[in-house]
Amino acid sequence: MTRVVSPPTETRRRPLKRRNSSGLVGETSGGHVGQSGLRAFLGALPFISPSLVGVVLFLVIPVIVLFVISFLNWNLLSPATVAGFMNYLNIFRFDGAAHSLGVTFYYVLLNIPLQTVLALGLALLLNSKRRGMGIFRVLYVAPYLSTPVATAVIWYWVFDPKLGAVNALLAHVGITGPQWLSSPSWAMPVVAFVNIWQYVGYNMLFFLAGLQAIPRTLYEAAEIDGAGPVRQFFRISLPLLNSTMLFVLVTGVIGSFQVFDTLYVLTQGGPGNSTEVLNLRVYQVAFTDFRLGEAAAMSVLLFGVILLFSIGQFMFFRNRITYEYSA
Amino acid sequence: MSAPTVLSTGGRTIRITVLYLILTAIALVFMVPYIFTVFAAFKPISQIFTEPAWIPPKSLFFANFRYDFVSGEFLRYLANTALVTIALTLGQVVFSVMGAYAFARLNFPGRDKLFWVYLMTLMVPNAVTIIPLYAMMRVAHLLNTYWAIFLPYVLGAPYTIFLMRQFFRNIPQEVIDAARVDGCSEWRILARIIVPLSKPVIVTATLIAFVFGWNNFLWPLIVTNSQSHYVLTIGLANFQSNMNSQWNYSLAASVITLFPLAVIFAVFQRHIIRSISLTQIR
Repeated sequence: MTRVVSPPTETRRRPLKRRNSSGLVGETSGGHVGQSGLRAFLGALPFISPSLVGVVLFLVIPVIVLFVISFLNWNLLSPATVAGFMNYLNIFRFDGAAHSLGVTFYYVLLNIPLQTVLALGLALLLNSKRRGMGIFRVLYVAPYLSTPVATAVIWYWVFDPKLGAVNALLAHVGITGPQWLSSPSWAMPVVAFVNIWQYVGYNMLFFLAGLQAIPRTLYEAAEIDGAGPVRQFFRISLPLLNSTMLFVLVTGVIGSFQVFDTLYVLTQGGPGNSTEVLNLRVYQVAFTDFRLGEAAAMSVLLFGVILLFSIGQFMFFRNRITYEYSA
Repeated sequence: MSAPTVLSTGGRTIRITVLYLILTAIALVFMVPYIFTVFAAFKPISQIFTEPAWIPPKSLFFANFRYDFVSGEFLRYLANTALVTIALTLGQVVFSVMGAYAFARLNFPGRDKLFWVYLMTLMVPNAVTIIPLYAMMRVAHLLNTYWAIFLPYVLGAPYTIFLMRQFFRNIPQEVIDAARVDGCSEWRILARIIVPLSKPVIVTATLIAFVFGWNNFLWPLIVTNSQSHYVLTIGLANFQSNMNSQWNYSLAASVITLFPLAVIFAVFQRHIIRSISLTQIR
């Protein structure tokens, strides 16, 4: 699954880097509108028009169209009729939107905290100039670039109750392994595990970059003051990784809310509907039931939840960034 | 004085050895699924059923791959994926370079407002545009064509434009001014000065687009419905659900899907690591 990137936080001051991150502030905004302005605009038009058409046609208009469809009854065969707000009610009454929302939250909760802690842990292990660190880093990141559908097929086999390596290994130590993906209680943890495996190395890279940007002198000073490694971590590294943490959490949560590929291969929402996350439900309602209005309403719900969470996370960390320092 | 030093180096060696052992163990967790898969892809089904995954194949058995490519249509899927991914990558990189150049280096009225519009679209999750885009492709009679698969991504990506713009802005103005004085057109400046000086960000953008295109699943799943237009991810997902525990075929198909990425990863590994760090917007 590809991750959608969080909106850049334009005005945040980046310590240790001299440029202000976008340069939108304090810059001469394009020339004067007038004859020269028109000429400048026409000169720039060929450069921007392809991407502008792309942005308008494939990002701006679809958001509008999404809202429009969410107010329609549309099954692709007969002409659409107006449904008003009924779809928004019906997805909760008949399509299990609340259940799917709950399952999605459960997935995010299984996935993100553990993944973030592990990513930070790996970064701490690799944060040294010793030989071979580069190789480990590459190996840890490899799953991130792998096709999620392909890795899901592989993990499906590894977790196969009869033929899979996991239960074969457990049998060696005398444990009868569970049914994993066919078990309502184990299926979601397995899915979360597969996604953590896939993305933890990627997030590790950001923590690694964050750790390496912290000036050595801070640790040296702490050492002189008698602070041990644990104290140094909680008092220096962790507070200074706040903005990295924000980035990792926001992109992670946004990505997790949209999980699809792995689930499509591993569980198809099952067993029962125990792993039926919202994005999978949207797909089912739209493209197996052909009820596009309801599916669009569910998409709007997903969109809203993602936005709320991104904003919430952003506010939380914004208030907690106490250790600003300048180079 | 020397005794404690020796002692501490001894302790240090042990600590470093333990560190490497831990790192190797973790690396195994990341690599083991791939290793097992490559093993299984070269085994006949009987061997997959009877021996544990960690036993290497006795000999290189190519029949699984032959089956996938010929009977399983994977040669076609591979060609489709390559075609669609290359088109997507070329378009996205070229059009993003153009857009980023205008936003970074040209002065025109409304530029910064327009850039904000681009940035706002970064907040639109992929999953949310799927249904409206499907409806639009349907109206445009583009369903089940190669066009449908790459069109939404080919005209440039706001995210990539943002990254490139940052990079282009750091190129010294004097270089560009000198070229303008010499009578270079903006296109020539872009092609001859900006692009050669911006290789890192262009390689990054190329890798992002390529990996995205290659791995894309949900969108092609929705807009294609005939085998002739399926990409690898669709073929693989169908294969896995139709081939009920014929693991030899679906695991070989996973290898086919992942192999080109593995080659790219091996060639560009250093660059990929640097690229990912570069893509962080804060």
